[in-house]
Amino acid sequence: MQIFAETLLNGLMLGALYALFGLGLSLSLGVMGMINIAHGDLIVVGAYLTGVAMGLFGIDAIAALSLVIPAMFVIGWLMQQLLLNRVVGRGPLAPLLLTFGLSIVLQNLLQEIFTADTRSLQAGDLAQLGVNISGVSIGVLPLLSMLVSIALLGATHWLIGHTHFGRQARAVSDDPDTARLVGVNDRRFFALVTGFIFATIGIAAVLYAVRTPFSPTAGPERLLYSFESVVLGGLGNIWGTLVGGLVIGVAQLFGAKISSGLGPFFGHLVFLVVLLARPRGLFGRAVP
Amino acid sequence: MTMSQQMLRVSSGTPMRGAAWVVLPLVVVAAAAVPWFATFAVQRLLVEALTLFTVALAWNLLAGYGGLVAVGLHVFVGVGAYALFTLSNQLHLNPWLLLPAAGLFAAFFALISAWPMFRLSGAYFAVGTWVLAEMMRILTLNTPWLGAGAGMPLEAMSGFDRWTRNAGVYWAAVTVGFGALIVARAILRGPLGLALMSVRDSEPAALACGVPVARAKIALWIVGAVMSGLAGAVAYMNTLQVTPDASFSLNWTAAAIFIAVLGGIGTLEGPIVGTIIYFVLREVFAGYGAWYFIGIGLLAIMAMVAAPGGAWSLVPERWRLDPLRVRRRMPEGETPASTVDTEAATLTRSSRRPPSANCRS
Repeated sequence: MQIFAETLLNGLMLGALYALFGLGLSLSLGVMGMINIAHGDLIVVGAYLTGVAMGLFGIDAIAALSLVIPAMFVIGWLMQQLLLNRVVGRGPLAPLLLTFGLSIVLQNLLQEIFTADTRSLQAGDLAQLGVNISGVSIGVLPLLSMLVSIALLGATHWLIGHTHFGRQARAVSDDPDTARLVGVNDRRFFALVTGFIFATIGIAAVLYAVRTPFSPTAGPERLLYSFESVVLGGLGNIWGTLVGGLVIGVAQLFGAKISSGLGPFFGHLVFLVVLLARPRGLFGRAVP
Repeated sequence: MTMSQQMLRVSSGTPMRGAAWVVLPLVVVAAAAVPWFATFAVQRLLVEALTLFTVALAWNLLAGYGGLVAVGLHVFVGVGAYALFTLSNQLHLNPWLLLPAAGLFAAFFALISAWPMFRLSGAYFAVGTWVLAEMMRILTLNTPWLGAGAGMPLEAMSGFDRWTRNAGVYWAAVTVGFGALIVARAILRGPLGLALMSVRDSEPAALACGVPVARAKIALWIVGAVMSGLAGAVAYMNTLQVTPDASFSLNWTAAAIFIAVLGGIGTLEGPIVGTIIYFVLREVFAGYGAWYFIGIGLLAIMAMVAAPGGAWSLVPERWRLDPLRVRRRMPEGETPASTVDTEAATLTRSSRRPPSANCRS
């Protein structure tokens, strides 16, 4: 029972991080209709950036956030302006293949700069802290990261629903041509959205880097978990993405209990089963 | 279908046709004779090129004609290779005789996987197939019966001497590579090809015209799976050992995508041109390690931005022969004698005729 509760809690905390991974993917799919194959690699880039920031300035991971978030925003803004805007709106194939090339470039650049070795970052004293509730121990750091994920998802949900930025996002998502007619500069707006997406990737990257060792080739798996969270939850539903992420996280950790190597397999399996039972995802309105 | 075939005829009867009947047997004889005058290293490189070409051809058929962008196409490479190795090792049979069985197994696997995968479309389908490939990789990695992480050798191969083994695998690769090209050409020239191109140009219009879109896509999915599965089986006959991380590796699909993007997506000549470019680049620059992959990735990005049609589209229209004769022509008298692309043909047709005339089939 104790093991069950612990696995469940750890799965939920892991899943919240997956949901945060999925947030950026959900936004780029929803607003720009493109999937970024390099999404996972960018999370890894963010993790390495965190490591560099910590090493250069001697700061801890939380303080590194204040550098990683703006840095990722600028990278995202530039990438959309210089590269992605050239292929957005040309159907799903062009952005997919372009970001596929980007993924290969990023992985090999990381390998060239930081070697292929696995790295891990020290989160300081925070990593050792844990609370014990009737025999079930919970790490403070994973708990904090879960709260941050949920808060960010909530903030984005509010942003989409209640601000000018969100109205523009919904307008472009519904009908890019008409949005342009009523004065949305979609290219400049897309750059802003991608900057925002990259900023969320930056936050996710720091949370990821302090809890899991990472290597230059860790990206594609992150992409798959993000993707599964988004599709499982249902497209265009941010709270759905949270639930999707939680389901994947819990499935992975229970799967790992069955056989240590099969954790991710069970995550994928649950994804396929849900897809067969509910093709629109758990809370989806539109067919993906 | 007969009516539309008459309306959009595949080009034929050109002066090229006579030349083809002379050139084709020469190419086949030359290709078959390679083991008598080439080293083992050259033969192995050719096997690699032919199998990769086959996978690229399959990827290009799926993405360029069926709109099925499969980032996880490598799942069939692994499934084909594992099917061949397992069958041969368990039944103690000649692996060459089991190649058709490996293709059949890949087809069967494609049919089953179509059930969940075809609930997704577009970019979702693309990443969904990747999930499938990843599942199969983890599954084989954790199955002791399949050799787990270390994989398994092809035991029956030790019964052949080195020359026979190399030549045999090479001939198998030639058969699979050329066979895939012939099958792809036949498909594109036939009713399935016409259906697929109509889907590629506009799926709603194709549906409205009564094209069995879902059936055409599943048929293409199975064809692509068999091609990739056979290519995988032959590729790992070449290395004599199959492992989960190599055979279910994204590198297969990455190379196929690179070849198709550079050569030209949605053309039959594209994968041929692309494979040549890919192997020339690799032989020249592979020594640079990670920088080589960075260069390749940048090249693919630049191609997508600057020349989305690939190298084949850079050949000026009037010089662009139709060596494989898969382009469809307008009926006589409606356009100048030159051949036109399907897209162009559809456009002109719809602007000249009332909509109802488009749907006669």
